Amino acid sequence: MTSRQRLCVVGLDGVPIGLLERLANEGVMPNIAARIEAGHLRSMRASLPEISSVSWTSFMTGVQPGEHGIFGFTDIDPGTYEFTFPNFAQVETPTLWDRLGQHGLTSVVLNQPATYPARTIPGVLVSGFVAVDLSRSVKPLRWLGSLRRQDYRVDIDTARSRGDHDWLFKDLDYTLQARGAALGRLWDEVAWDYLQVVVTGTDRLYHYLWDAVENVDHPRHQQAMDYHRAVDRFVGQVWDRFASENTEPDKRFWMLSDHGFCGINQEVQVNAWLREHRYLAIDDGGRDLGGIRPESRAFALDPGRLHIHQRGRYARGSVAPEQTAALKTEIADEFRSLRYHDEPVIRDVHDAADLYHGPCADSGPDLVLVAHPGFDLKASPTATEIFSRTDLVGMHTWDDAFLLAPYPIDDEELWIGEVAGHLERGFGN
Amino acid sequence: MKGFTLWFTGLSGSGKSTLSQAIEPVLLERALKVEILDGDVVRTNLSKGLGFSKEDRDTNVRRIGFVANMLSRNGVVAMTAAISPYKEIRDEIRAHTETFVEVYTECSIEELTRRDPKGLYKKALSGEIKNFTGISDPYEAPENAEIVVNTERETLEESLEKIVRSLELMGLIPAGEDNHTSPAEEVVIRERLQALGYL
Repeated sequence: MTSRQRLCVVGLDGVPIGLLERLANEGVMPNIAARIEAGHLRSMRASLPEISSVSWTSFMTGVQPGEHGIFGFTDIDPGTYEFTFPNFAQVETPTLWDRLGQHGLTSVVLNQPATYPARTIPGVLVSGFVAVDLSRSVKPLRWLGSLRRQDYRVDIDTARSRGDHDWLFKDLDYTLQARGAALGRLWDEVAWDYLQVVVTGTDRLYHYLWDAVENVDHPRHQQAMDYHRAVDRFVGQVWDRFASENTEPDKRFWMLSDHGFCGINQEVQVNAWLREHRYLAIDDGGRDLGGIRPESRAFALDPGRLHIHQRGRYARGSVAPEQTAALKTEIADEFRSLRYHDEPVIRDVHDAADLYHGPCADSGPDLVLVAHPGFDLKASPTATEIFSRTDLVGMHTWDDAFLLAPYPIDDEELWIGEVAGHLERGFGN
Repeated sequence: MKGFTLWFTGLSGSGKSTLSQAIEPVLLERALKVEILDGDVVRTNLSKGLGFSKEDRDTNVRRIGFVANMLSRNGVVAMTAAISPYKEIRDEIRAHTETFVEVYTECSIEELTRRDPKGLYKKALSGEIKNFTGISDPYEAPENAEIVVNTERETLEESLEKIVRSLELMGLIPAGEDNHTSPAEEVVIRERLQALGYL
């Protein structure tokens, strides 16, 4: 039994509260059912846009995108209009682990998305998606050797798994086992106060086989359930060890997801809509949005981040700053009326000025579209059809992430960025 | 961070001074205090008047070790770049130094003779210079140096990276914060984002 006042957090990437409750109730996830019984499960809102990198960064910093500066997996170079890929170095606000370190507390953080390349924290950080090179995913570096010897994997091979679902399940199992082995070693060898591990295989499974999770008649349904059983065992092992080593473990064990999920009815190509409505014109040949023409008034980045092509902000921008507000209103109104076979597509159009505040707010989008469940917003620069389908079957949702807390949190609009404060208070900070 | 002594040893021209000078800015960027005790520089002040007999050479190396230890126990990274040819003296200094990291700059005589920027090997081989380490005086290569770099096979950048990484892994210097996403990494990131439908 340790004398430290430890705190343990398990993240399940992309798991919606409804699915978690159902699988717990149906006996697929008995360990999680026990934790729900002992704790307080509630829904939680993701950051907008509802992308893992945005939402997890809000979780780890406790602030919203206007302050932490991460608005998506991609940004755009305002000179070349090519995509750039924001990384952890651009998160200039301190993390929860930095703040705990100021009080002499040590963190072990395993597979935290949006922390690549890893930077030094007071403890050990092993980055999650989109980590590329393991040697740049681990701080301090002295843990690299043991992770390599354990054949640790940051993620499944998504490119192969998308088209080869036999491989997907094999890779999901292997990655989860490797994660467990790495966690065990860090748990053994680091004198930690705060430990956090994120399971990201859930998100991958839902992108490729959400229908198999939902539909009992799907040929892969049992495999999907078996993976959830494996995740449940993983959580059970973390809990059992935590409970055996700590007093009052129920008061110090948290679980959460970063967003929810649902099935896709249609993919909605926002840039194709902007083209069709003459807000956007792109010449062939440029990379990404490199062929954008000066007369373009707006463009979108994934998923529904809409940028006004403003003069002074973008090299070929032509919209005068004083015209921006009216243009935002015009486009927002048009998107609100977008229908697919009489079904409304867009649930909300947020003016970024209302949504974001802080020193990075100006680097974000001007409008953020939130779709109704089933309409998956995309921003391919080359797509010509507004509505289409690919082999992807699952999409992120905004307001049905879950939080399993040791005590009830009375906040109807609880948002993932608020969790960090609760965790810090768990140490009396 | 605690100080330590980073002791380069190797034949003349093998890269001791070059490497120590290359490492200095890396360590300074990581907020470490650094001093370089270069063999040639020390001989013009701390060891002025000493010759190249074995006794004088040992005295010179012991003086460097003494000063390096004083610096390192006061939180400085003391880098020494003297040939320090004798194992016995290096081991004596190691025994008296709290944290001693030996870096062997390995390079063949043939390569050093080819490099020979000061023409010293040429003169030593012709007998013009007596008691020249590696030619007419022994050099006892370390058998258990903490770090070995081969400056004949490795580029300066590779040797530098090896030393810095080793010091990071030993926990003697803070890890560097390399924040840049390389073009090769961007290719992989694009593929992964495409596979999940983000691009």
